[in-house]
Amino acid sequence: MADLRLVLVTPEKTLFDRPVASIRVPMFDGSAGIYPGRAPLVGRLGIGELKLNGTDGKSESYFIDGGFIQIKGGQVSVLTNAAMPVAGISRAAAAKELANAKSEKPGTAADIASQAKKLERARKLVSMATVD
Amino acid sequence: MANARLLVKRLKSVRNIRKITRTMELIATSRFKKAMDRATEAAAYTKKISEIVGDLGSADLKFSHPLLEERAETKKSVLLVLTSNRGLCGGYNGANLRNTLKHIAQLKVEGIDYALEVSGKRGIKFLNFQNIDIDQSYTHFEDSPTFAQVDALGTRYVDDYIAGRIDRLDVAYTEFKSISRQTAIVESILPLSSLAGDKAEGAGPSSGGTADYEFQPSPQEILEEIVPAAFRAKLFKCFLDAAVSEQIARMVAMKGATENADEMAGDLKQQYNRARQAGITSELAEIIGGAAALE
Repeated sequence: MADLRLVLVTPEKTLFDRPVASIRVPMFDGSAGIYPGRAPLVGRLGIGELKLNGTDGKSESYFIDGGFIQIKGGQVSVLTNAAMPVAGISRAAAAKELANAKSEKPGTAADIASQAKKLERARKLVSMATVD
Repeated sequence: MANARLLVKRLKSVRNIRKITRTMELIATSRFKKAMDRATEAAAYTKKISEIVGDLGSADLKFSHPLLEERAETKKSVLLVLTSNRGLCGGYNGANLRNTLKHIAQLKVEGIDYALEVSGKRGIKFLNFQNIDIDQSYTHFEDSPTFAQVDALGTRYVDDYIAGRIDRLDVAYTEFKSISRQTAIVESILPLSSLAGDKAEGAGPSSGGTADYEFQPSPQEILEEIVPAAFRAKLFKCFLDAAVSEQIARMVAMKGATENADEMAGDLKQQYNRARQAGITSELAEIIGGAAALE
């Protein structure tokens, strides 16, 4: 079986660089699963949960804030503006972000778009938050 | 003996200063290492971005994006100056600000309207003293700027550029070339010129890999997203470079200061010993003289 290696990079840090068994990424239009031997792909990511199953059978989840994915051979590179382990998202912080986004009063079309983006991000965060 | 007492006092203060500069040197060294690590991590991201751009190049795509287009006429430009919040870092701010003044003079000659944005207290103070109007100032970028902070600026520039409110963005900062070489430069980062250069870089490995990519949603749409991302990564790199260069400059300056303090302490100690010896000799001479007079 071919190997699969996930490299998760943000501008600040390389968060993850290890062989994995399988990955699920949030694409711009929905979730996509990746197994070893996937055809080469360059794609745009959406906001959501990146879930991976390690070679030891353990799974990990990260919150991903958009970006790009590149699959080439056995290497999957995920480039994103911001990523954090799901275990690090607190319910209170996520709820606060949602409240902040809701309280915005958009005036122009650009503001409306940016608020919609923030709302989407905050709602995803709330749904993924696991710790208090 | 009054002279010797004075020397002791000076010697003490020089030693105290030495302690401070030595500590600052050590702090700068550790901060430099941290900043350097961050810069290296960021380089991984930039490399990946240019790799993807290279992959797009294989998709038989015309590279056109508002951020890549050079305006026929530059009317309004933004000059972003990155200086440090703290001093005591040798020529770091001086070199950068001299460059800035030169650039401003040139903009005036060319008749380009500019907005001046300055980050760092040192730069703000200097330009205020020169009576140059600052349109916007930031002091919240410390020695480890986060991507989110820089991104807020980057998003605004991208929006302004696409809307045609600005025609050019120049950044005056200290470029980090190697540990022993940093140069203050003014770089134009909008319109984005080097995507073509990155493409050539990235095209190497991808053409070797002969990967036939599937693009989702489409090469054009990915390009639309990746050009701003490349710009933001570049802006972020400017901030990181500036942070690394600042710590190096401080390290070097403080090392020099510590060495000077050492030298000064040595000189003072010698002077003090001489003054003390002279005091003892003159006292002895007085006693012997007095005893001789009694005989």
